[in-house]
Amino acid sequence: MSRRAWLLMLVTLPVLVIGSLYLRTLVRRVFFEAAQPADASARARLTQAALESSTGASQSVVLYFPSYQEGKLRAESRPLSLAASDSDRIRQVVLALVEGSRQGSGQPLAAGAEVRAVFLTADGTAYLDFSSAALAGFTPGIESETLAVYSIVDSLAANVPAVKRVKILVQGQEVDTLDGHVDLTNDFVPDPTRIATAAP
Amino acid sequence: MSLSSEPGRPVSSRRHGRRFLCLGLALSLIIIIWPAHQLRSDNFVVYLPNAHQVIPLESIDRVQYLPLVPLLNLVGTVSGIEEKGNSMKVWLGSNQLELHRGDKKVRINRAALKLSNPVRVSNGQWMAPLDFIDSALPRLTNQRLEYRPGDQRIFIGDVRPTTFFVTRAPLPNGTRLTFHFSDAVTIHTTSSNGRWIVGLGGRPVEPLEQGLKLNDASVSEVRFDDQDGVPKIIITPVDGSLNFYPTVEDQGKQFQADIVQPITAASQTPPGPAPASASSSRPGPTAGAGGAPVSAPAPPPLPAVVLDAGHGGPDPGARSRDGLAEKDLVVQIVERVRNTIAATNQYRVILTRNGDADPTFDERDSTANLAHPVAFLSFHAGNLGERSPRVMVYTYQASAPPDAGADAQQMFVPWAWAQAPHLDQSRQLAGAIAQQMSRISDLSTGNPDQAPVRQLRSVSAPAVAIEVGSLSPELDAGVLATPDFQQQIAAAIVQALAAFRGGA
Repeated sequence: MSRRAWLLMLVTLPVLVIGSLYLRTLVRRVFFEAAQPADASARARLTQAALESSTGASQSVVLYFPSYQEGKLRAESRPLSLAASDSDRIRQVVLALVEGSRQGSGQPLAAGAEVRAVFLTADGTAYLDFSSAALAGFTPGIESETLAVYSIVDSLAANVPAVKRVKILVQGQEVDTLDGHVDLTNDFVPDPTRIATAAP
Repeated sequence: MSLSSEPGRPVSSRRHGRRFLCLGLALSLIIIIWPAHQLRSDNFVVYLPNAHQVIPLESIDRVQYLPLVPLLNLVGTVSGIEEKGNSMKVWLGSNQLELHRGDKKVRINRAALKLSNPVRVSNGQWMAPLDFIDSALPRLTNQRLEYRPGDQRIFIGDVRPTTFFVTRAPLPNGTRLTFHFSDAVTIHTTSSNGRWIVGLGGRPVEPLEQGLKLNDASVSEVRFDDQDGVPKIIITPVDGSLNFYPTVEDQGKQFQADIVQPITAASQTPPGPAPASASSSRPGPTAGAGGAPVSAPAPPPLPAVVLDAGHGGPDPGARSRDGLAEKDLVVQIVERVRNTIAATNQYRVILTRNGDADPTFDERDSTANLAHPVAFLSFHAGNLGERSPRVMVYTYQASAPPDAGADAQQMFVPWAWAQAPHLDQSRQLAGAIAQQMSRISDLSTGNPDQAPVRQLRSVSAPAVAIEVGSLSPELDAGVLATPDFQQQIAAAIVQALAAFRGGA
């Protein structure tokens, strides 16, 4: 065999070996590994992490739920072991809102709503990315949508002091409205006037 | 140093250089002036029952051609294609079509037919001249075809297009165009590049005239266009400063557009509430005490009130337990409010949507802003708890108010902040409406509230949203759908407008 052929073989052989290994990995991934819904599993892990990263000590948090009778938000206290990081706390508070009122107030978010992602920027803007299920089963309307949005915003401001404003996204995108009425293109600052002060 | 004085360069070389330069210039000119093989592209619209298709037209040597196979697929089912060299056979149902490249003759079931221009092949597609549609197509299908030679649209099957004609009447300060439609159409207006575009909804439309060049002091051209499959009328004003006041009449069968000079600052001062017995101040020649015509300029058009019925089309909004959709309920209410306002002869009423259209938020706001209204009222229905019937009035709640000082310096107001300068007036209007609503017996209402209502954000006028309820899956619509209740709402709004205009 000539020297030139040896050289060619030396170059080609490693390429062939690496290619075969890559092909083997690809084949295993495509045909043998069960399809993993990466997005869903990542969200589940984040939710789990938020719930498990609690500081241990249970403390009373105030959640605001819509009262359509009054057109206001009703405060509801419940014990919650809040996480150490602000992002995890935000997720915990929103998940508690999704869980719903225990005193018969309205539901701000649909029961199947998922929090896809939470970001808290240095200027105190909390970005909440909901799944589209957050809108399913929601009764549209100016009052109902306004109360739903401020239920989230005021609950976060009450329990996570670092949150100054809230921006709501759906499926990772900015959307025009929650369900045809309330403008979601801007971010929201907490509005304490939405909270009912008198006894029901 | 000039070329001719270059030392040591032979004279013949210089001559050759000049010749090449001239030849290059001539070639460049020829390339620029030579007509392109494909001059321009238009679209051909095929209207089918409940659908339309847009097929690109090709202009080859100044003759318009259609791609043959996509067209045949729309009129029937192409069961086979056989392409051999310069010829092609197509089977459409039981019929056979035979064509030859560069040949005017085509054969349908072996019977020859001569087209005005030869069949071509462009980018691998067989192309037939436009007259193929009226000469050959009816022999290939049993479907009903409606085609006017020369048009760029065809109606296939059970499609009855709406037609329209336009009349023009002079106004003292402009021109009135009235479009008369054979059927009710859903109209929404927008502006683009200084022209007004009147969308005619999804119905197929066949104009009597494609376009009209007008010798008019206000309007230069009125043109119909459906090149994207969406019928629309494009009105080109003579001057970009003219105002456009659209009105839909006769349940959508008539559309009136007043193109008038802008209202002067003096006439923009809001008039006080007119006495109930006052006659309409509708534009037109005014009469003096003795009834003789007065030559003084006529007053500006009546102030406009824009009514916005929320949702529409595929977006029903909220729904009651007995199935009444928000989009339908608010149309009923808007219709009553419109008639009640119109009966006062003090306002022009402009609707942001007609019928079951679903204009975008910005299209609705554009319609409103074009009319420079004295009030914008957006109607909604939703979950207001168990206290039904209930009405709530909202003004826009901005998340962070813009810097008022900075705005005063700005020549243009950002679209997203158009409502901000009008918020004080909007609150006055909301207060007036809430006050009148509180006088309706058995109706629960509250103080005007503010909410981040998307529809109000970009309205450059006093604007409120009125939500009636409760319309939710837990309750029947009940009294909300009754004419009596809706008429009470309408009457309250007219009273509120009078109070607002009187106090504004």
